[in-house]
Amino acid sequence: MVDQSNVSISAQSISVRRDRRTRNRPPYWMIAPAVFLLAVIVAAPFLVSIYTSFTSLNQYSIGNWLHAPFVGLRNYISAFTQGSAIGASALQSLWVSVAFSLLTTLCITPIGIVAALLVNTPFRGRSWVRALFLIPYVMPVFVNAITWRLLFMNGWGLVDKVLAWLHLASVNTFWLIGPNSFWAMVIADVWSSWPFIYLMVLAGLQGIPNDLYESAYMDGATQVRCFFSITLPSLRPILSLALLLSTLNHFNNFTLPFIMFGTPPSPQADVLPLNVYVTSFQTFNFGLGAAMSLITLVLMMIPAYFYIRMLRLGEATT
Amino acid sequence: MGSPKKWLNKKWLNKKPLLVSAAVLTATAGIPFAVYAGTPSTVTLSVYIGYDANNPQAQANLYNKTLIPLFEKENPGIKVTWSYYSSSTQENTELQTAVATHQGPNVFELGTTFIPTAYATKSFHVLSAADWKAIGGKAKFFGPQLTMSGPNPNNYIGVPEMMLPFAMVYNTKLLKAAGISKPPTTWTQFVNDAKKMTNASKGQWGTVIDPEDSYDPWKIVWAYSKQLGSDFLSPNLKKATLDSPQVVNAMTFWFDWLTKYKIVSANDLTYKNSDALQQFENGHIGMWVFQGPSLIPSLNQSAVKGEYAFAPLPTVPYGMTSRPKGGTPTQTIVSGQDLAIPSYTTGATYQAALKWIKFITDPKQQQELFNVYGDLPVNQQAYKGDAALNTPMMKAFVQSEEHASPTPFSGDWGNLETIFAGVTNKLADELATNTFKPADIASQLQAANAQVQQSLQ
Repeated sequence: MVDQSNVSISAQSISVRRDRRTRNRPPYWMIAPAVFLLAVIVAAPFLVSIYTSFTSLNQYSIGNWLHAPFVGLRNYISAFTQGSAIGASALQSLWVSVAFSLLTTLCITPIGIVAALLVNTPFRGRSWVRALFLIPYVMPVFVNAITWRLLFMNGWGLVDKVLAWLHLASVNTFWLIGPNSFWAMVIADVWSSWPFIYLMVLAGLQGIPNDLYESAYMDGATQVRCFFSITLPSLRPILSLALLLSTLNHFNNFTLPFIMFGTPPSPQADVLPLNVYVTSFQTFNFGLGAAMSLITLVLMMIPAYFYIRMLRLGEATT
Repeated sequence: MGSPKKWLNKKWLNKKPLLVSAAVLTATAGIPFAVYAGTPSTVTLSVYIGYDANNPQAQANLYNKTLIPLFEKENPGIKVTWSYYSSSTQENTELQTAVATHQGPNVFELGTTFIPTAYATKSFHVLSAADWKAIGGKAKFFGPQLTMSGPNPNNYIGVPEMMLPFAMVYNTKLLKAAGISKPPTTWTQFVNDAKKMTNASKGQWGTVIDPEDSYDPWKIVWAYSKQLGSDFLSPNLKKATLDSPQVVNAMTFWFDWLTKYKIVSANDLTYKNSDALQQFENGHIGMWVFQGPSLIPSLNQSAVKGEYAFAPLPTVPYGMTSRPKGGTPTQTIVSGQDLAIPSYTTGATYQAALKWIKFITDPKQQQELFNVYGDLPVNQQAYKGDAALNTPMMKAFVQSEEHASPTPFSGDWGNLETIFAGVTNKLADELATNTFKPADIASQLQAANAQVQQSLQ
């Protein structure tokens, strides 16, 4: 026969455990508003974009956009074959964006590291120099773009004048149109974005224990050796993250070329975001614009995948 | 009351998650409606207008202290709110959003060349005879302005609000110094006068071009094409004609200012409108074509203050003594601002919108708008007895308006503008990199024509 008192105690303990579990369960419902807003702000427009990319949505059908004619994959094919207003296809703009983002990141990395190393050790007026280094980064993008547009003006811009004075180029070197427009865009972006790497590296440098350097110096290591054997390996996680974020940011840079060159820009400066914008909102080809945006999204998923993996790796090791 | 953690763990909260979330969201979402709905007897009318970059404070004062209080006093029960767009890009985006979501401002102020696009969306009220009567009738407006209100008189969606006829602004000091007594009336005279005023060593040029601008190039080439007897689209709007000999001739003539006549600086190849303005304001430019009265406030604060004047554009093509057969004396596009009411504005709000449009297009308000914006009134009565509107400078614009031609009323005009800007951009690229061949003008226009043709509906 079963002992009733034992059964009662056991049932009681199960109930207590269940209560405790219920009590200890994180209140997931509290994230419901955030989930709801994410669904409205991110998921819904994303789904609409997918739908739009399969339609020929334009100024004639926007008033009743749910009934825009379905065109299958035509927009995706057009994205790679059809030229924009200046004849640049999405594929060409893609290469411009990839080259621009990689080159800019490549340029700003050594500048950012050197700047961070310069202000890492204490000296008189260090805080002023640190603040000074941040000026290009805090300056609004449109101010930066207008300033560089004026500097790159043909004939009377400061860049042409200085280059001519140094006998390096003609005073009539065109920077805002033609092939040089790409380099003008890179220079302007490098000037404004290197402090991002500087900030990240400076933060990373604060976390390297001084003991490591002291031991190395006692063992007779030079400063160069310390940099390559201690500083750089210690910075690797944060630097990798900085490079990834920088590449993504530069790939998506719209404001700088938009202000510097206007629309439509020269094909060499027709970055993908600008091409998508002109296609969608100036020529009213929303279907094609949506297809181009989704292609961009898929491409951006590649570095994003590595970025997410890196973050997970960070979780596992801490 | 327990600790926050205990409070959060309370069972009732865990049991009613959706209810609480919904309550919070509903309460939050309800705030804007509570603010804007007004009392049941009040109609709130939202007006969306262009930003006046030259004098934003004067614009704000005009609406907040003059127009809206007066209108609300005259029309009890109607409350007016206003917001603005600061660029054509924003105007475009707001219109697209409003049309797609069927909500937004009740009255849109739109540029005349944008009206065909707005019409194509089929999302704006076509004004009935009764509506026009409520506005004060079509007769009160300058006739040419109505040609951009809709595809035909029975399908007008736009009501002219302000007009912006274009003319040629010239530097009186440079003109006099070159021994020229009056502005040119033919393009041959224009080129000859510009040559006289050009002194490259001093950085002084007869005229200026801005091929990187999105809008200026097509206006000039289009007007010249009209004088030669062509257009960018066929009369039935079914065929693109950017590759016609007249358009090729017009584009060639424009770039000849640099390549053949040397009356503009090579630096101009990177110019947008603002760069050209800067050069004119610094006294480096003799004549600048296709500029409107909205330039006046800026010019009056520059080095050329008191040393500039406006004249209508020449109307006889270069090398000719009269216009060829079919050519029109086009001196400006029909340009300005129109007011249009989106279809989602209905009932009492629609009637309030009509009242607002009547109010804003009546002579007194038209003069108020002119005093702030510098754009000309569309109401003919506004010119009577107003000295400021009858100066020689203003008369040049009014004269220009008499020879205004409407641009083709096609929903694809915006697309055409962008494609055309691509052509001038590419040709400027070629000129800057010394790869330009004269035949490229025809081939680029041919490619652009094919692209425009593809989008025509």
